[in-house]
Amino acid sequence: MLDDFDVITLILLLFPFLMSIVMLTITGMVSESSRRKLAPVWRMVSLGVSMALFIVASMMFTGQIGGVDWTGIGFNEYEFLYQYEWISSLGITWQVGLDALSFPMVWLTTFLLPVTIIATWDEKKGAVYHPLILLMGATLLGVFVSLDLFMFYIFWELTLIPMFFLILKWGGKDRKYASQKFFIYTFTASVIMLLGLITMYFSMPSNTEIAMDNAGEYTGRTFDLLEITSIAQSVNAGGIWLENLHLIIFAMLMIGFLVKLPAAPFHTWLPDAHVQAPTGGSMLLAGVMLKMGAYGMFRIPATLFPHALEHFQFILMLFGFVSLVYGAIVCLGQTNLKKMVAYSSVSHMGVILLGIASMQPIGWAAALFMMFAHGIISPMLFAVCGAFKHHYHSMEIGAMRGMAKHSPWLATSMMFGWMASLGLPLLAGFVAEFLLLIAYWHEFGWWILGPGLALAITAAYYLWSMQRTIFEGGEETQPPKEMEGKPIPDISDMEKVAMLILAGFTILFGIFPAIALDMMSDWTVTMFQTLFGGA
Amino acid sequence: MTQRLVEAFDANFFSLFTAEVTLFIGLILLILIPNLGKGTFRLPGTQARIPWFLGGQRYEWNANPRLPSLIALLIMVSATIQMGMRVFSENDAILVHATGDASVRILSANPFSNLMEFFFFLALTLVILASINRLDVKNPKDKSISTLYNNRRQADFYILILTCALGMSVVALAENLFVLFVGLELASFSTYILVAFNKESKAGSESGMKYFIVGSAASGVGLYGLSLLYLWSGSLQIDILAEAWAGIGQETLPYVALGLVLVGFGFKISAAPFHFAAPDAYAGAPSTISGLLATASKAMGMIGIIKILLVITQPEALEGSAIWLWTIALLSVITMFWGNLAALGSDNPKRMLAYSSVAHAGYMLAAITAAGLWNISGDVSAQDDAIQASRTVLAAILFHLGVLIAFKLGAFLVLSVLEMESDVKSSDAIAGLAKRSPMLAVAMFIFMLSLAGVPPLSGFLSKLLVLLGIIKVAIANSASSSFLGMDVHWVWGLALAMGVNSAISVYYYLRVGVVMFFHEPVESRQGPLPRGSMIRISIAICVILTVGLGVAGEFLLDVCRSAADYLMPMMRGL
Repeated sequence: MLDDFDVITLILLLFPFLMSIVMLTITGMVSESSRRKLAPVWRMVSLGVSMALFIVASMMFTGQIGGVDWTGIGFNEYEFLYQYEWISSLGITWQVGLDALSFPMVWLTTFLLPVTIIATWDEKKGAVYHPLILLMGATLLGVFVSLDLFMFYIFWELTLIPMFFLILKWGGKDRKYASQKFFIYTFTASVIMLLGLITMYFSMPSNTEIAMDNAGEYTGRTFDLLEITSIAQSVNAGGIWLENLHLIIFAMLMIGFLVKLPAAPFHTWLPDAHVQAPTGGSMLLAGVMLKMGAYGMFRIPATLFPHALEHFQFILMLFGFVSLVYGAIVCLGQTNLKKMVAYSSVSHMGVILLGIASMQPIGWAAALFMMFAHGIISPMLFAVCGAFKHHYHSMEIGAMRGMAKHSPWLATSMMFGWMASLGLPLLAGFVAEFLLLIAYWHEFGWWILGPGLALAITAAYYLWSMQRTIFEGGEETQPPKEMEGKPIPDISDMEKVAMLILAGFTILFGIFPAIALDMMSDWTVTMFQTLFGGA
Repeated sequence: MTQRLVEAFDANFFSLFTAEVTLFIGLILLILIPNLGKGTFRLPGTQARIPWFLGGQRYEWNANPRLPSLIALLIMVSATIQMGMRVFSENDAILVHATGDASVRILSANPFSNLMEFFFFLALTLVILASINRLDVKNPKDKSISTLYNNRRQADFYILILTCALGMSVVALAENLFVLFVGLELASFSTYILVAFNKESKAGSESGMKYFIVGSAASGVGLYGLSLLYLWSGSLQIDILAEAWAGIGQETLPYVALGLVLVGFGFKISAAPFHFAAPDAYAGAPSTISGLLATASKAMGMIGIIKILLVITQPEALEGSAIWLWTIALLSVITMFWGNLAALGSDNPKRMLAYSSVAHAGYMLAAITAAGLWNISGDVSAQDDAIQASRTVLAAILFHLGVLIAFKLGAFLVLSVLEMESDVKSSDAIAGLAKRSPMLAVAMFIFMLSLAGVPPLSGFLSKLLVLLGIIKVAIANSASSSFLGMDVHWVWGLALAMGVNSAISVYYYLRVGVVMFFHEPVESRQGPLPRGSMIRISIAICVILTVGLGVAGEFLLDVCRSAADYLMPMMRGL
């Protein structure tokens, strides 16, 4: 049946999951020597699987599979919806589906998987690395496609395990500390989120009071997000859903998401995790995993508790503002290239938070597009850092000077990535920042000077770090001590391919943002109308 | 659900308790078979010798040291299967009363007791399976001596395991607190010896002694409590006590008695502050036995707690909360924090698992607190909701006790493989396990994640169910109290404490993973691991259960629910 593609979301999720499990199991069973031989095979297989996913997702994007026109899909409308009963006594279903909020993230994940594998093609990592990357991708897809809170939470936690191992096994010097901090920090936040979810679950009216399709036989409530949403909306239309608890539930959910995002006071796990993680891990971490936080905010608390969002609007704005400014200022002081990029992520996540806090359809669209654009740009930054480390065996900004002369490809990629990240017009990042500033002006007026200034600091730290690596030195180049006497290499062919792909899409979405932005703005406009009634 | 009355030891009695009878037959076989031999005795005054088949040199077929373990395994598997069939097919309750007097109840086989017995037998089956590789004694000088020694020693071991199983079934079946106490002591005495079973190691004897002394002191206190209860009501039969409790006036005696009894059971489930012997016992005992203590033995204590707190001392509907609500809540919070904080500081994986077991006792006590709250809403219309909530909590406790067998015992079994090399005394023992045996390391890591409550493993599902239950109760009873200004009952705070503790516990569970995967093996543990194929089979079973019950645990949940349904009407006022 070619016209019935609803099951495709499920395949998209299960295929990489099962493939990676199969690969890991085989690796576990063979001997040490054949494991070494397996590594290149798994690399090819993983690339093949992820390419297949990317092609399928892209065909879904263009409408060749499923024939979906993604623009015009309103809030609360889902494509490729697929539901299966799971634990019926508690009202838990296995429900997947896509909408304009989740689909860009799904596409982004499938896009980053092959790019990550290509960018780290030459690193000798052993037979477990690539299956783990694939597993990581599968769990991330799971977070974005699940429309059942229980299933969502399961995938939310599952993402930690492959990432924990990626950092622990292939990370830098302090990998043990970093990986454990990463796991515990985000796990704690998730547990608080879980308590919030359960409190919400039981505060809901039971199926004896309102009709429900998937209510648990035993609890009389459901984890089905679609049903919860419709219940919440019918109440929110005239009042406030769960009036006595909505603020605290909202706050508990937000703690889970703010830590994941991460917003300023909760960000401390991120620089450690990023700096220690291997390049591939960093690319996925920055590219997709951080967006889980923003995605979750839109998907659950903002949808269900718009009044609480209104109530906490100013606090959220402060969080976003502090992240933006603090991230930028800390970046100025960094000497470690990767740490600087990591803090720049904190800063950009602040932009997303500002977009959400602006409470304007256009601001929300800006946040969505920022998620998307940052998802393409930041992997490029980390790929550059990875190549830098790979070839110069150092991460210090001053360690290598005059790169433009010795390694023109790397210097060009770096410059391109840095420019894209600081928001150069015609590149993807600019669109998001521009939209955000419009929304911000509408809502907060002259406060706009704050983010404006912060964006100027962003430009400052990027330019300064470029000056110290790419240009400075001229005749008196300073290659790192270990490199003295050896020819200074440029990046390898596979790395060049990855950089070109990333740069190409950055330009594509910078010049034609409408490809993705249209569906996002349609979605946010209808969301805003549904939640708050009228414009 | 129908109730059948049966007189003790009448014609039907034995056909109704086939699993327990099987155990009994197994005990006799274990005593007889290894002792069969070419023994003869001389007729006095003559030279004629008459063979009487006991003692003397053994026959070839029963000289095999593996024989007792095979008998025990066979018996235990058949008991487990029979009990499993009872759990999944029968829903009736059978009440056994004393001969000639139907009002004196002794035992009762019901969905709840069936389920608990099934858990006990399952755990013991796994322990027996794993012990097959663990008991060999090798005497380098004389092979026949070591064979003989092995044979005797193994018979002892399995006899103790079977008596333990028998005692546990009695606890599950008991309808009278004194019968319950007898079963408890039967099982406990077996475990005291089992803890010290490795006579060769100093730690074993020491921990066995410690466990025995503290355990008997706790039992003594509990027994004193029981005698005070008897003094107060004139009977230790559970339904009579419950009725007496419902009409309680301004008396102190029953409360004192309740407190003393709780001390006895608190020791069994290793709740703080009665847990002090547990870490030593777990660390000194053979790992298979530590696993037994942490799962089946703990579930046995939990039965006592459930019967006393939820069946006997539950107040009438709409009458207010149980008298012990604050006490148990406080105890549960102390227990979980104490367990987790102490586990943070333990380097020995066995001690760490012992403290994590203490923490899990805290979670279960929190759930018990929530179950004790079910009827205080004071609002008749909300009563259905409150009953449902209480049912959720009870089912969650039972489910937790069940899946705990999979991952807690599994973790101890992994350590047991390492123990075959040399004693596990610090985290060095598991260092670099991933390099030496990737499959074992992965299994251990799965157990650790499940203990920490990471989805989609069964540990997550059970923790989630407990949280669901507590929060449900807290919201159903929101009218009567509040927590930090929120519109929920204060037991919601217990859910919060559980959340915080889960987060703390992640650290030490993860550390095991780090040590296994990324530390180099220490010098004394470089070579390949001992094979221990039977232990590996039982570990594989544990892994399958841990993952399987997490993803598709619905059927077990249904069974737990019907067991909870059976308990509910026994709680007062329904």
